[in-house]
Amino acid sequence: MRNVLIKRQRVIQKIRRFFEQQAVLEVQTPTLLNTPTSDVYIDSISLNINANIGMQSTQYLHTSPELEMKKLLVQGSGDIYQICQVFRDNEYGECNSNEFTLLEYYRLGFDVHQLMADMVNLLQILGIQDKVYQLSYAQVFSQYADIDILNTDFASLKVIALKLGLSTDFAWIEELQMLLFVHLIEPKLKNLPLCFIYDYPRSQSALAKTEHQVAHRFELYLNGIEVANGYDELQTKGEYQQVFMREIAKRKQLGKPILQIDTLFLSKFNKPLPQCAGVAIGVDRLLAQIS
Amino acid sequence: MANYATNQFKNGLKLMLDGNPCSIVNNEMVKPGKGQAFNRVKFKDLITGKILIKTFKSGESLEGADVMELDLQYLYNDGSAWHFMDPNSFEQYAIDGTYMSDAKNYLVEQDICTVTLWNDNPISVTPPNHVILEVLDTDPGLKGDTAGTGGKPATMSTGAVVQVPLFVDIGDKIKVDTRTNEYAGRA
Repeated sequence: MRNVLIKRQRVIQKIRRFFEQQAVLEVQTPTLLNTPTSDVYIDSISLNINANIGMQSTQYLHTSPELEMKKLLVQGSGDIYQICQVFRDNEYGECNSNEFTLLEYYRLGFDVHQLMADMVNLLQILGIQDKVYQLSYAQVFSQYADIDILNTDFASLKVIALKLGLSTDFAWIEELQMLLFVHLIEPKLKNLPLCFIYDYPRSQSALAKTEHQVAHRFELYLNGIEVANGYDELQTKGEYQQVFMREIAKRKQLGKPILQIDTLFLSKFNKPLPQCAGVAIGVDRLLAQIS
Repeated sequence: MANYATNQFKNGLKLMLDGNPCSIVNNEMVKPGKGQAFNRVKFKDLITGKILIKTFKSGESLEGADVMELDLQYLYNDGSAWHFMDPNSFEQYAIDGTYMSDAKNYLVEQDICTVTLWNDNPISVTPPNHVILEVLDTDPGLKGDTAGTGGKPATMSTGAVVQVPLFVDIGDKIKVDTRTNEYAGRA
């Protein structure tokens, strides 16, 4: 037992030292929020508080520190990182849990490629020194499944799924892309100890910048397990507003609880977010990959 | 049969997949950081024995398969069917050769086998993990060889052909692992 705790402590210490040496500031943002996440596929855990003092209100545990950290970035914090527990409802399984540790960091002036290079340095310090594979989303689909994923429309993807005997009951193309990724690509990634997948289809842009057909996003896979998710971050208030509205409309279509836009977050946007790239790393999954 | 949703999937659960009864071998929950949750499930087709991998959107459901496993005693083979008996109820089952596959190479009268029934019809037979078989034919034994280096093929009374150590002779009884078709020692 103690060995496990010591290993965890050593890894966290190395992470802190890594950021300290690059003058990236550690921050701590609130865990209890007024607004749940608008993410289509992530559910916040709600809490009723202050009922006994006649001030009952519903609060939400953060599912990621992203928006709170972006508030700091807008206000001029500079490079920041945070290691914290996050909470997500309706998640279970061998690699999923309602509570887990996230390392989230933002580097000003970086793009996703610089951020991936920075992460390789961090991984090497943590003892993950395998050959680094960097493959685009289109590349892995062409290589492992012979599918031109960026130029295949919803109807044609349905035909492919049908041939594989998979469900085609999806509302949007991105869900079908994800299904095919999980079914055809992810099992192949188990053969690669350290692999970045980048340039996701525009339909999966989330809060990342887009260019032509792709979103400037990446995910890190260690032995086929998704460990991190990074973006070239959107910068303007208008862009965030648009994404929130789109996500809320999608939640509505899926019959999920309909949420409000995080107006408090948007109200902090008196100027744009500085140009930066950010990444969220699942610390428990990372630890499982470190011997 | 009842339907089972992905959150009820567990190893060994029997479900209908593309018209065939299947058993779950492995169920992996996959939840992309940004995206829909899926279950990647490995199945064994209980009729063909083939392994299949399917991915489901979490929340999808499949129909349960009416599959039962019985421990039955092997009685005899009448040339076209293999006959088994339930040692408790004395009920008898005749199983057609197409469902016997490799199991027929290991059947010893009186042995208890696992018989899988789908909608009350036998679809497969699993012999015990280890069976005692008599050597019907093999090259002459070599005296003094006890280490089992090399080896030679031997045909058993049931028809199985097993690689055996050189000292094994015709008429010897040996123990065979039915899962790997390997020699597992002298009986």
